[in-house]
Amino acid sequence: MACERHLERIQELVDGTLGAIRRSELEQHLAQCEDCRALKADLERIRDAAASLPQMRPPDGAWLQIAARLRQEGRIQETAEPPSRDRWSYGWLAIAAALLLAASASLLVLFRSAGPAPAPASAAASAPAGDQSVEAAQNAVDAAQQQFEKAIADLEKVARANTNALDPTTSAVIDKNLGIIDRAIAENRAAVKAEPGSVAARETLFEALRQKVSLLQDTVALINEMRKGDNAAAARLVNKS
Amino acid sequence: MSTSKEADLALAARCRDGDLGAFEELYKAHAARLYSLAFRMLGNAADAEDLLQEIFLSAHRKLESFRGEAALGTWLYRLAMNQILDYVRSRAGRAGQLTDGLEDAGTLPDAGGHRLADRAIDRIDLERALAELPDGCRAAFLLHDVEGLEHKEIGQVLGIAEGTSKSQVHKARLKLRRLLTRNVAELSERSDGL
Repeated sequence: MACERHLERIQELVDGTLGAIRRSELEQHLAQCEDCRALKADLERIRDAAASLPQMRPPDGAWLQIAARLRQEGRIQETAEPPSRDRWSYGWLAIAAALLLAASASLLVLFRSAGPAPAPASAAASAPAGDQSVEAAQNAVDAAQQQFEKAIADLEKVARANTNALDPTTSAVIDKNLGIIDRAIAENRAAVKAEPGSVAARETLFEALRQKVSLLQDTVALINEMRKGDNAAAARLVNKS
Repeated sequence: MSTSKEADLALAARCRDGDLGAFEELYKAHAARLYSLAFRMLGNAADAEDLLQEIFLSAHRKLESFRGEAALGTWLYRLAMNQILDYVRSRAGRAGQLTDGLEDAGTLPDAGGHRLADRAIDRIDLERALAELPDGCRAAFLLHDVEGLEHKEIGQVLGIAEGTSKSQVHKARLKLRRLLTRNVAELSERSDGL
Protein backbone atom coordinates (compact mmCIF):
# COMPACT_ATOMS: atom_id res chain seq x y z
CA MET A 1 0.00 0.00 0.00
CA ALA A 2 1.27 3.47 -0.87
CA CYS A 3 2.51 5.71 1.96
CA GLU A 4 -0.43 7.85 3.09
CA ARG A 5 1.75 10.86 3.86
CA HIS A 6 2.91 11.02 0.23
CA LEU A 7 -0.53 10.60 -1.38
CA GLU A 8 -1.27 14.29 -1.81
CA ARG A 9 2.13 14.98 -3.33
CA ILE A 10 1.83 12.06 -5.73
CA GLN A 11 -1.51 13.45 -6.91
CA GLU A 12 0.05 16.90 -7.36
CA LEU A 13 2.93 15.35 -9.29
CA VAL A 14 0.40 13.66 -11.59
CA ASP A 15 -1.40 17.01 -11.95
CA GLY A 16 1.89 18.74 -12.77
CA THR A 17 1.37 21.26 -9.97
CA LEU A 18 4.09 20.12 -7.55
CA GLY A 19 6.84 22.66 -6.94
CA ALA A 20 10.44 21.86 -7.82
CA ILE A 21 11.75 21.30 -4.28
CA ARG A 22 8.88 19.08 -3.16
CA ARG A 23 9.05 17.26 -6.47
CA SER A 24 12.71 16.49 -5.94
CA GLU A 25 11.99 15.19 -2.42
CA LEU A 26 9.16 13.03 -3.70
CA GLU A 27 11.25 11.61 -6.53
CA GLN A 28 13.84 10.51 -3.97
CA HIS A 29 11.10 8.69 -2.08
CA LEU A 30 9.68 7.16 -5.26
CA ALA A 31 13.09 5.75 -6.13
CA GLN A 32 12.92 3.71 -2.90
CA CYS A 33 9.21 2.91 -2.56
CA GLU A 34 7.71 0.46 -5.03
CA ASP A 35 4.10 0.91 -3.83
CA CYS A 36 4.21 4.69 -4.28
CA ARG A 37 5.80 4.25 -7.72
CA ALA A 38 2.97 1.90 -8.67
CA LEU A 39 0.38 4.36 -7.39
CA LYS A 40 1.92 7.18 -9.42
CA ALA A 41 1.97 5.04 -12.58
CA ASP A 42 -1.66 3.96 -12.09
CA LEU A 43 -2.88 7.51 -11.46
CA GLU A 44 -1.07 8.69 -14.60
CA ARG A 45 -2.77 5.94 -16.62
CA ILE A 46 -6.16 6.96 -15.24
CA ARG A 47 -5.48 10.64 -16.00
CA ASP A 48 -4.36 9.82 -19.56
CA ALA A 49 -7.29 7.48 -20.22
CA ALA A 50 -9.74 10.11 -18.97
CA ALA A 51 -8.21 12.81 -21.15
CA SER A 52 -8.55 10.60 -24.20
CA LEU A 53 -12.21 9.66 -23.65
CA PRO A 54 -14.04 10.64 -26.82
CA GLN A 55 -16.70 13.31 -26.92
CA MET A 56 -20.10 11.89 -27.71
CA ARG A 57 -22.12 13.38 -30.52
CA PRO A 58 -25.62 14.41 -29.51
CA PRO A 59 -28.38 12.76 -31.57
CA ASP A 60 -29.06 14.64 -34.79
CA GLY A 61 -32.63 15.42 -33.81
CA ALA A 62 -31.68 17.21 -30.57
CA TRP A 63 -30.98 20.61 -32.12
CA LEU A 64 -34.07 20.44 -34.32
CA GLN A 65 -36.25 19.81 -31.30
CA ILE A 66 -34.66 22.68 -29.40
CA ALA A 67 -35.23 24.99 -32.36
CA ALA A 68 -38.83 23.81 -32.67
CA ARG A 69 -39.46 24.47 -28.96
CA LEU A 70 -37.94 27.96 -29.21
CA ARG A 71 -40.22 28.71 -32.16
CA GLN A 72 -43.24 27.41 -30.28
CA GLU A 73 -42.37 29.65 -27.34
CA GLY A 74 -42.08 32.63 -29.70
CA ARG A 75 -38.46 33.23 -28.75
CA ILE A 76 -37.14 33.34 -32.31
CA GLN A 77 -37.20 36.50 -34.39
CA GLU A 78 -38.19 35.38 -37.88
CA THR A 79 -36.72 37.51 -40.64
CA ALA A 80 -39.17 39.07 -43.11
CA GLU A 81 -37.78 37.38 -46.23
CA PRO A 82 -35.59 34.48 -45.24
CA PRO A 83 -33.61 32.68 -47.90
CA SER A 84 -36.32 30.32 -49.05
CA ARG A 85 -34.09 27.29 -49.61
CA ASP A 86 -32.62 27.36 -46.12
CA ARG A 87 -35.92 28.05 -44.50
CA TRP A 88 -37.82 25.27 -46.22
CA SER A 89 -34.97 22.81 -45.76
CA TYR A 90 -34.97 23.63 -42.11
CA GLY A 91 -38.72 23.20 -41.94
CA TRP A 92 -38.57 19.80 -43.51
CA LEU A 93 -35.79 18.73 -41.22
CA ALA A 94 -37.94 19.78 -38.28
CA ILE A 95 -40.72 17.60 -39.66
CA ALA A 96 -38.18 14.78 -40.08
CA ALA A 97 -37.25 15.18 -36.43
CA ALA A 98 -40.91 14.98 -35.43
CA LEU A 99 -41.34 11.87 -37.57
CA LEU A 100 -38.24 10.42 -36.01
CA LEU A 101 -39.69 10.92 -32.55
CA ALA A 102 -42.95 9.27 -33.49
CA ALA A 103 -41.29 6.33 -35.24
CA SER A 104 -38.70 5.67 -32.57
CA ALA A 105 -40.98 6.13 -29.56
CA SER A 106 -41.73 2.42 -29.37
CA LEU A 107 -38.03 1.59 -29.61
CA LEU A 108 -37.25 4.00 -26.83
CA VAL A 109 -39.93 2.47 -24.61
CA LEU A 110 -38.57 -0.97 -25.33
CA PHE A 111 -35.03 0.20 -24.70
CA ARG A 112 -35.89 1.86 -21.42
CA SER A 113 -38.01 -0.99 -20.13
CA ALA A 114 -35.84 -3.81 -21.37
CA GLY A 115 -32.51 -2.58 -20.08
CA PRO A 116 -31.48 -2.62 -16.44
CA ALA A 117 -31.65 0.68 -14.52
CA PRO A 118 -28.59 2.75 -15.45
CA ALA A 119 -27.57 4.05 -12.03
CA PRO A 120 -26.68 0.75 -10.36
CA ALA A 121 -24.64 -0.19 -13.39
CA SER A 122 -22.19 -2.06 -11.23
CA ALA A 123 -24.68 -4.78 -10.46
CA ALA A 124 -25.01 -5.91 -14.04
CA ALA A 125 -21.49 -4.99 -14.96
CA SER A 126 -19.85 -6.92 -12.18
CA ALA A 127 -21.98 -10.04 -12.39
CA PRO A 128 -19.99 -13.11 -13.31
CA ALA A 129 -20.34 -14.64 -16.73
CA GLY A 130 -23.28 -17.03 -16.97
CA ASP A 131 -25.15 -15.21 -14.21
CA GLN A 132 -28.91 -14.84 -14.79
CA SER A 133 -28.74 -11.03 -14.73
CA VAL A 134 -26.15 -11.05 -17.52
CA GLU A 135 -28.29 -13.45 -19.50
CA ALA A 136 -31.35 -11.24 -19.01
CA ALA A 137 -29.36 -8.18 -20.04
CA GLN A 138 -28.13 -9.99 -23.13
CA ASN A 139 -31.69 -10.94 -24.05
CA ALA A 140 -32.78 -7.32 -23.64
CA VAL A 141 -29.91 -6.17 -25.83
CA ASP A 142 -30.85 -8.71 -28.50
CA ALA A 143 -34.52 -7.69 -28.45
CA ALA A 144 -33.79 -3.96 -28.63
CA GLN A 145 -31.18 -4.53 -31.33
CA GLN A 146 -33.69 -6.44 -33.44
CA GLN A 147 -36.17 -3.57 -33.17
CA PHE A 148 -33.53 -1.04 -34.22
CA GLU A 149 -32.40 -3.25 -37.08
CA LYS A 150 -35.94 -3.67 -38.37
CA ALA A 151 -36.46 0.11 -38.35
CA ILE A 152 -33.10 0.59 -40.08
CA ALA A 153 -33.91 -2.03 -42.75
CA ASP A 154 -37.30 -0.42 -43.50
CA LEU A 155 -35.77 3.04 -43.77
CA GLU A 156 -32.87 1.82 -45.91
CA LYS A 157 -35.37 0.22 -48.28
CA VAL A 158 -37.22 3.52 -48.75
CA ALA A 159 -34.01 5.53 -49.04
CA ARG A 160 -32.40 3.19 -51.59
CA ALA A 161 -35.49 3.11 -53.76
CA ASN A 162 -35.46 6.90 -54.01
CA THR A 163 -31.80 7.90 -54.01
CA ASN A 164 -32.13 9.33 -57.53
CA ALA A 165 -34.11 12.18 -55.94
CA LEU A 166 -30.90 13.40 -54.27
CA ASP A 167 -28.01 15.10 -56.00
CA PRO A 168 -24.80 13.00 -56.14
CA THR A 169 -22.90 15.23 -53.66
CA THR A 170 -25.61 14.99 -51.00
CA SER A 171 -25.93 11.27 -51.62
CA ALA A 172 -22.15 10.80 -51.22
CA VAL A 173 -22.12 12.74 -47.93
CA ILE A 174 -24.97 10.63 -46.57
CA ASP A 175 -23.23 7.41 -47.68
CA LYS A 176 -20.01 8.53 -46.02
CA ASN A 177 -21.80 9.29 -42.75
CA LEU A 178 -23.68 6.00 -42.85
CA GLY A 179 -20.34 4.24 -43.35
CA ILE A 180 -18.91 5.93 -40.26
CA ILE A 181 -21.94 4.94 -38.20
CA ASP A 182 -21.81 1.37 -39.53
CA ARG A 183 -18.20 1.07 -38.43
CA ALA A 184 -19.14 2.38 -34.98
CA ILE A 185 -22.01 -0.13 -34.78
CA ALA A 186 -19.70 -3.01 -35.73
CA GLU A 187 -17.11 -1.93 -33.17
CA ASN A 188 -19.72 -1.55 -30.44
CA ARG A 189 -21.33 -4.89 -31.27
CA ALA A 190 -17.96 -6.53 -30.76
CA ALA A 191 -17.59 -4.72 -27.43
CA VAL A 192 -21.04 -5.90 -26.26
CA LYS A 193 -20.24 -9.43 -27.36
CA ALA A 194 -16.98 -9.35 -25.43
CA GLU A 195 -18.67 -7.89 -22.35
CA PRO A 196 -22.38 -8.73 -22.32
CA GLY A 197 -22.81 -7.24 -18.84
CA SER A 198 -21.31 -3.85 -19.65
CA VAL A 199 -23.90 -1.07 -19.43
CA ALA A 200 -21.51 1.39 -21.09
CA ALA A 201 -20.98 -0.93 -24.06
CA ARG A 202 -24.73 -1.41 -24.51
CA GLU A 203 -25.45 2.31 -24.24
CA THR A 204 -22.79 3.14 -26.82
CA LEU A 205 -24.16 0.50 -29.21
CA PHE A 206 -27.71 1.81 -28.81
CA GLU A 207 -26.48 5.34 -29.33
CA ALA A 208 -24.87 4.32 -32.63
CA LEU A 209 -28.06 2.54 -33.71
CA ARG A 210 -30.14 5.59 -32.75
CA GLN A 211 -27.85 7.79 -34.82
CA LYS A 212 -28.32 5.56 -37.83
CA VAL A 213 -32.11 5.65 -37.45
CA SER A 214 -31.92 9.42 -37.09
CA LEU A 215 -29.76 9.90 -40.21
CA LEU A 216 -31.99 7.64 -42.29
CA GLN A 217 -35.11 9.48 -41.11
CA ASP A 218 -33.56 12.77 -42.14
CA THR A 219 -32.57 11.27 -45.48
CA VAL A 220 -36.12 10.10 -46.17
CA ALA A 221 -37.48 13.51 -45.22
CA LEU A 222 -34.98 15.17 -47.53
CA ILE A 223 -36.00 12.86 -50.38
CA ASN A 224 -39.65 13.80 -49.75
CA GLU A 225 -38.75 17.47 -49.95
CA MET A 226 -36.87 17.03 -53.20
CA ARG A 227 -39.64 14.99 -54.80
CA LYS A 228 -42.59 17.10 -53.72
CA GLY A 229 -41.05 20.55 -53.80
CA ASP A 230 -44.21 21.84 -52.11
CA ASN A 231 -42.74 24.65 -50.03
CA ALA A 232 -46.09 26.19 -49.08
CA ALA A 233 -47.35 22.89 -47.68
CA ALA A 234 -44.08 22.49 -45.76
CA ALA A 235 -44.50 25.92 -44.23
CA ARG A 236 -48.08 25.14 -43.20
CA LEU A 237 -47.01 21.90 -41.56
CA VAL A 238 -44.11 23.53 -39.72
CA ASN A 239 -46.27 26.37 -38.44
CA LYS A 240 -48.95 23.93 -37.39
CA SER A 241 -46.53 21.73 -35.41
CA MET B 1 -9.59 42.61 -32.58
CA SER B 2 -12.38 41.61 -30.21
CA THR B 3 -11.66 39.78 -26.98
CA SER B 4 -13.29 36.49 -26.18
CA LYS B 5 -15.40 38.32 -23.58
CA GLU B 6 -16.63 40.77 -26.21
CA ALA B 7 -17.30 37.89 -28.59
CA ASP B 8 -19.25 36.04 -25.87
CA LEU B 9 -21.29 39.14 -25.06
CA ALA B 10 -22.00 39.79 -28.74
CA LEU B 11 -23.10 36.18 -29.31
CA ALA B 12 -25.30 36.27 -26.19
CA ALA B 13 -26.88 39.54 -27.40
CA ARG B 14 -27.69 38.03 -30.81
CA CYS B 15 -29.24 35.01 -29.11
CA ARG B 16 -31.33 37.28 -26.85
CA ASP B 17 -32.55 39.12 -29.95
CA GLY B 18 -34.02 35.87 -31.24
CA ASP B 19 -31.31 35.09 -33.82
CA LEU B 20 -31.64 31.32 -34.24
CA GLY B 21 -28.40 31.14 -36.23
CA ALA B 22 -26.51 32.64 -33.28
CA PHE B 23 -28.04 30.17 -30.87
CA GLU B 24 -27.17 27.31 -33.22
CA GLU B 25 -23.59 28.61 -33.18
CA LEU B 26 -23.63 28.41 -29.38
CA TYR B 27 -25.17 24.93 -29.54
CA LYS B 28 -22.59 23.64 -32.01
CA ALA B 29 -19.73 24.97 -29.90
CA HIS B 30 -20.85 23.32 -26.67
CA ALA B 31 -23.45 20.60 -27.31
CA ALA B 32 -21.05 17.67 -27.67
CA ARG B 33 -19.21 18.48 -24.44
CA LEU B 34 -22.42 19.02 -22.49
CA TYR B 35 -24.03 15.90 -23.94
CA SER B 36 -20.95 13.83 -23.03
CA LEU B 37 -21.03 15.26 -19.52
CA ALA B 38 -24.77 14.52 -19.15
CA PHE B 39 -24.35 11.01 -20.58
CA ARG B 40 -21.53 10.18 -18.18
CA MET B 41 -23.35 11.66 -15.20
CA LEU B 42 -26.73 10.06 -15.95
CA GLY B 43 -25.55 6.79 -17.47
CA ASN B 44 -27.88 6.60 -20.45
CA ALA B 45 -28.44 8.28 -23.81
CA ALA B 46 -32.18 8.95 -23.55
CA ASP B 47 -31.93 10.94 -20.31
CA ALA B 48 -28.82 12.74 -21.58
CA GLU B 49 -30.64 13.86 -24.72
CA ASP B 50 -33.67 15.05 -22.76
CA LEU B 51 -31.46 16.97 -20.40
CA LEU B 52 -29.38 18.48 -23.20
CA GLN B 53 -32.54 19.98 -24.65
CA GLU B 54 -33.62 21.33 -21.26
CA ILE B 55 -30.16 22.81 -20.69
CA PHE B 56 -30.20 24.77 -23.95
CA LEU B 57 -33.83 25.86 -23.57
CA SER B 58 -33.03 27.03 -20.06
CA ALA B 59 -29.88 28.76 -21.34
CA HIS B 60 -31.92 30.67 -23.92
CA ARG B 61 -34.32 31.86 -21.25
CA LYS B 62 -31.51 32.85 -18.88
CA LEU B 63 -29.20 34.58 -21.34
CA GLU B 64 -30.64 37.88 -20.05
CA SER B 65 -28.60 37.29 -16.90
CA PHE B 66 -25.30 36.67 -18.71
CA ARG B 67 -22.99 39.59 -17.99
CA GLY B 68 -19.69 38.14 -19.14
CA GLU B 69 -18.18 37.74 -15.65
CA ALA B 70 -17.23 34.19 -16.67
CA ALA B 71 -16.73 32.81 -20.17
CA LEU B 72 -19.94 31.81 -21.90
CA GLY B 73 -18.75 28.20 -21.89
CA THR B 74 -18.19 28.25 -18.12
CA TRP B 75 -21.61 29.91 -17.64
CA LEU B 76 -23.18 27.12 -19.69
CA TYR B 77 -21.29 24.44 -17.76
CA ARG B 78 -22.57 25.89 -14.49
CA LEU B 79 -26.14 25.96 -15.73
CA ALA B 80 -25.80 22.45 -17.17
CA MET B 81 -24.22 20.96 -14.08
CA ASN B 82 -26.91 22.48 -11.84
CA GLN B 83 -29.57 20.80 -13.95
CA ILE B 84 -27.66 17.52 -14.13
CA LEU B 85 -27.10 17.38 -10.38
CA ASP B 86 -30.74 18.33 -9.69
CA TYR B 87 -31.79 15.49 -11.94
CA VAL B 88 -29.38 13.03 -10.35
CA ARG B 89 -30.53 14.01 -6.85
CA SER B 90 -34.21 13.76 -7.71
CA ARG B 91 -33.63 10.37 -9.32
CA ALA B 92 -31.67 9.20 -6.28
CA GLY B 93 -34.43 10.57 -4.05
CA ARG B 94 -37.08 8.66 -5.99
CA ALA B 95 -35.01 5.48 -5.75
CA GLY B 96 -34.29 6.07 -2.05
CA GLN B 97 -30.58 6.11 -2.69
CA LEU B 98 -28.01 8.23 -0.95
CA THR B 99 -25.25 9.97 -2.84
CA ASP B 100 -22.26 11.74 -1.44
CA GLY B 101 -22.29 15.46 -0.88
CA LEU B 102 -19.80 17.64 -2.68
CA GLU B 103 -18.04 18.34 0.60
CA ASP B 104 -17.76 14.68 1.60
CA ALA B 105 -14.12 13.77 1.97
CA GLY B 106 -14.78 10.03 2.13
CA THR B 107 -12.33 7.40 3.20
CA LEU B 108 -9.10 6.44 1.56
CA PRO B 109 -9.76 3.61 -0.87
CA ASP B 110 -7.26 0.81 -0.91
CA ALA B 111 -6.33 -0.98 -4.11
CA GLY B 112 -5.98 -4.18 -2.08
CA GLY B 113 -2.45 -4.84 -3.24
CA HIS B 114 -3.48 -5.03 -6.88
CA ARG B 115 -2.12 -2.81 -9.62
CA LEU B 116 -3.30 -1.87 -13.03
CA ALA B 117 -1.85 -3.84 -15.89
CA ASP B 118 1.11 -2.23 -17.60
CA ARG B 119 -0.94 -1.00 -20.57
CA ALA B 120 -3.46 1.68 -21.47
CA ILE B 121 -6.81 1.48 -19.66
CA ASP B 122 -9.67 0.21 -21.80
CA ARG B 123 -12.24 2.93 -22.52
CA ILE B 124 -15.22 0.74 -21.66
CA ASP B 125 -13.65 -0.33 -18.36
CA LEU B 126 -13.11 3.33 -17.50
CA GLU B 127 -16.67 4.34 -18.46
CA ARG B 128 -18.01 1.51 -16.32
CA ALA B 129 -15.87 2.47 -13.35
CA LEU B 130 -16.90 6.13 -13.74
CA ALA B 131 -20.54 5.11 -13.43
CA GLU B 132 -19.77 3.68 -10.00
CA LEU B 133 -18.28 6.86 -8.56
CA PRO B 134 -20.32 8.94 -6.13
CA ASP B 135 -21.99 11.87 -7.92
CA GLY B 136 -19.91 14.65 -6.37
CA CYS B 137 -16.50 13.32 -7.16
CA ARG B 138 -17.64 12.01 -10.56
CA ALA B 139 -18.73 15.54 -11.49
CA ALA B 140 -15.41 17.06 -10.41
CA PHE B 141 -13.39 14.32 -12.11
CA LEU B 142 -15.29 14.66 -15.40
CA LEU B 143 -14.82 18.41 -15.43
CA HIS B 144 -11.11 18.24 -14.55
CA ASP B 145 -9.59 15.10 -16.03
CA VAL B 146 -11.99 14.61 -18.96
CA GLU B 147 -13.04 18.15 -19.89
CA GLY B 148 -9.83 19.85 -18.82
CA LEU B 149 -11.28 22.61 -16.63
CA GLU B 150 -9.09 24.19 -13.94
CA HIS B 151 -10.05 23.71 -10.28
CA LYS B 152 -10.97 27.40 -10.05
CA GLU B 153 -13.44 27.00 -12.92
CA ILE B 154 -14.82 23.78 -11.42
CA GLY B 155 -15.32 25.67 -8.17
CA GLN B 156 -17.44 28.21 -10.09
CA VAL B 157 -19.36 25.52 -11.95
CA LEU B 158 -20.13 23.34 -8.93
CA GLY B 159 -20.33 26.11 -6.35
CA ILE B 160 -17.56 24.65 -4.19
CA ALA B 161 -14.15 25.82 -2.99
CA GLU B 162 -11.16 25.33 -5.28
CA GLY B 163 -9.56 23.05 -2.67
CA THR B 164 -12.71 20.93 -2.47
CA SER B 165 -12.62 20.46 -6.23
CA LYS B 166 -9.02 19.30 -5.97
CA SER B 167 -9.76 16.82 -3.18
CA GLN B 168 -12.81 15.48 -5.05
CA VAL B 169 -10.73 14.84 -8.18
CA HIS B 170 -8.00 13.13 -6.15
CA LYS B 171 -10.58 11.03 -4.33
CA ALA B 172 -12.15 10.06 -7.66
CA ARG B 173 -8.82 8.91 -9.10
CA LEU B 174 -8.14 6.71 -6.06
CA LYS B 175 -11.61 5.20 -6.24
CA LEU B 176 -11.20 4.59 -9.95
CA ARG B 177 -7.92 2.86 -9.27
CA ARG B 178 -9.62 0.60 -6.77
CA LEU B 179 -12.47 -0.17 -9.19
CA LEU B 180 -10.14 -0.81 -12.11
CA THR B 181 -7.75 -2.94 -10.08
CA ARG B 182 -10.75 -4.95 -8.89
CA ASN B 183 -11.23 -5.93 -12.54
CA VAL B 184 -7.58 -6.97 -12.71
CA ALA B 185 -8.02 -9.01 -9.52
CA GLU B 186 -11.15 -10.72 -10.86
CA LEU B 187 -9.43 -11.62 -14.10
CA SER B 188 -6.45 -12.91 -12.18
CA GLU B 189 -8.69 -15.08 -9.94
CA ARG B 190 -10.53 -16.46 -12.97
CA SER B 191 -7.32 -17.37 -14.75
CA ASP B 192 -6.01 -19.00 -11.54
CA GLY B 193 -9.16 -21.10 -11.40
CA LEU B 194 -8.67 -22.47 -14.92
